[in-house]
Amino acid sequence: MLVVENLVKEFNNVTAVNNISFTVKPGAIFGLLGPNGAGKTTTIRTILNIIKPTSGKILFNGNPITDEFFNIIGYLPEERGLYRKSKVIDIILYFAELKNMRRDEAAKEADRWLKQLNIYQHKNKKLEELSKGNQQKIQFITSIIHNPQLMIFDEPFAGFDPINQQEIKDLIFSFRSEGKIIMLSTHQMDTAEKLCSEIFLIDNGKEVKSGKLADIKKEFGTRHIKLEYNGDASFIKSLPEVETCDTYNNYAEIKLRDDTDPAQFLKKIVSKIDVYHFSVIEPTLNQIFIDLIKENN
Amino acid sequence: MKKIITIAKWEFLEKVKTKAFIISLVITPLIIIAFSVLPTLLSQKEDLRTKIIGVVDTSGVYFTPLQKELEEYKIENNQPQYVLINLTEKNKPLDELKAKADRDVLDKGIEGYLLIRNGGTDSLKVEFRSEKVGSFGDLRRFEEKINKIRMQNELLAKGMSTELVKILQNNVEIEHIKIEKSGEEGKSNFMVVFFSAFIFILLLMMMVIYSGQMLVRSLIEEKSNRIIEILISSCKPEELLAGKILGLSALGLTQIFIWSLIGITLVGGAVIPPEAFEGILPMLLYFVLGFLFYTTIFVSIGSIVNTEQEAQQITTYISLVLVMPVVLAMPAIENPNSLLLKVMTYIPFTTPSIMLLKLKIVDVPVSEIIITVAIMLLSTIITIKLAAKIFRIGILSYGKRPTLQEISQWIREK
Repeated sequence: MLVVENLVKEFNNVTAVNNISFTVKPGAIFGLLGPNGAGKTTTIRTILNIIKPTSGKILFNGNPITDEFFNIIGYLPEERGLYRKSKVIDIILYFAELKNMRRDEAAKEADRWLKQLNIYQHKNKKLEELSKGNQQKIQFITSIIHNPQLMIFDEPFAGFDPINQQEIKDLIFSFRSEGKIIMLSTHQMDTAEKLCSEIFLIDNGKEVKSGKLADIKKEFGTRHIKLEYNGDASFIKSLPEVETCDTYNNYAEIKLRDDTDPAQFLKKIVSKIDVYHFSVIEPTLNQIFIDLIKENN
Repeated sequence: MKKIITIAKWEFLEKVKTKAFIISLVITPLIIIAFSVLPTLLSQKEDLRTKIIGVVDTSGVYFTPLQKELEEYKIENNQPQYVLINLTEKNKPLDELKAKADRDVLDKGIEGYLLIRNGGTDSLKVEFRSEKVGSFGDLRRFEEKINKIRMQNELLAKGMSTELVKILQNNVEIEHIKIEKSGEEGKSNFMVVFFSAFIFILLLMMMVIYSGQMLVRSLIEEKSNRIIEILISSCKPEELLAGKILGLSALGLTQIFIWSLIGITLVGGAVIPPEAFEGILPMLLYFVLGFLFYTTIFVSIGSIVNTEQEAQQITTYISLVLVMPVVLAMPAIENPNSLLLKVMTYIPFTTPSIMLLKLKIVDVPVSEIIITVAIMLLSTIITIKLAAKIFRIGILSYGKRPTLQEISQWIREK
């Protein structure tokens, strides 16, 4: 279990992370979400022991982080890059050895992973000869080859095509069932929605929302309506019950004000347009994210 | 420690395999050989043939003795170096003689001709007229011989005996002997002192600049690829720093070792005099300390810049500081006890190269060696500590180059 308590990090009087606390439990995927520059990377770097916090505590399985921690952590940074001129297998073995793996053991694991991700035939090529997707796979392997207990993935799907995304997603799920502690940082909300069971939304270094994804969705639910219709729907926007309204051709997504009953709202509009689909929907995480960040600012 | 070795091994093996390294391994000695050996080879080749020199001598007294004097210069197989032919013809005006001799030089195989003109009672005007200019060696010989003959003639004319003239014309040469503490005499051959001290300073310079730039380049690559993030989530920045310095030092040493091998096999002891290796132990000490000191500075630079251009700007200045003692080498050999030299002995930036020079020129007191080594050790430790702090933050800051103020803040940060 990874516990972050009252973490504060200041750089030259700028507070990058302002008193955040959360817990990442094994067997679940924890999503650290936020817009660009929100403080995600600083938080991760502090957990990785790359930078020291100004104040606050980080505990792993109840103990403070030490240098030994390097070897049980797997980190996939957002911006990818490896030694382009070096051989694939050499790169993998180098990073594995840096994580204190024995060389023979590392060689065995490297072969296994290369085969599993269908890139074994590139083993002895230079990295720059590989396609971008395959380079990303090599980077992914370097981050997990030492079977770390704690895995931190920063935008793990960036640069992968849908088929490879599926492959990586399956792998992350398999790590979850093995009981690894997994932290995922992203600003792709659809990814987070599919993978994470708990989220922590950060903006301007501060917590905006945190908790179980299902609970958060419930909290924000019942006010979103999907509508398909015929006729001129432009009047909807000016109705007092409506907070926001995105109208497309014969299709609209509407957010009602807190105290509005959707049934009452339906009654009000059927007289003016032909409604042939009306449903109360769960908001997407994307919608929640945008609303919360806007509200916060 | 294991991680430091892993990093050092990686840096070494990956760089050894690069084309750039292999090329520089071969090209650099080739260039050095080209610059040092070719000119000698060329001028030696020139000396291998007999040169025909014409003489137009209006005084009439120089041709025969000059011919005799120049006989002492021989080339292979006892062949004469110079063959003199008399182009003087009596009763012909000088202009005509000159025109004819000029033509001989241009059309026939005459190297050139000496035009000796009697310009009054005791003045002499001599020209060497040739198509090529630049046969300095020949000219010096002609000059020396003509002066000798002239002096001889004058002295004899004034009634001095032939014996006395001979005695007067014997040159005395001063041989320089360096006294060493053991009471032994050391032959203070200028070239030996110059080269032996110089070779080490040059090697140090080349190694620092080469490895330093390699280090900066590898850091910049890792920074721009963000590999650095993975590296420092796997080991401490200090370990990364140490591993890199170790690996690239090994690389530099390999290079110098191979260069020396090439040098020794190609030119034998000719270029590097064996005297160069006298008292090598203290020199090696300064060499290693100087290398560490400068490399550490290069690392700090590599960690705060983002592009190679930026790095080059700064590394050029630092390399200049290192090269500065080379400029001072001549005055240092002439006057090893000057104040400037004394001051520079104790400044860590110049200590290694100055001490490398001094160890060869003068008997350095043991106390001075101890003090300077202590200064170097201390300042190297301090730079490593500072570099580690700058490195720790520098490698993670992208974009704008930090100001001095920011850097000093990083150093103070715990």
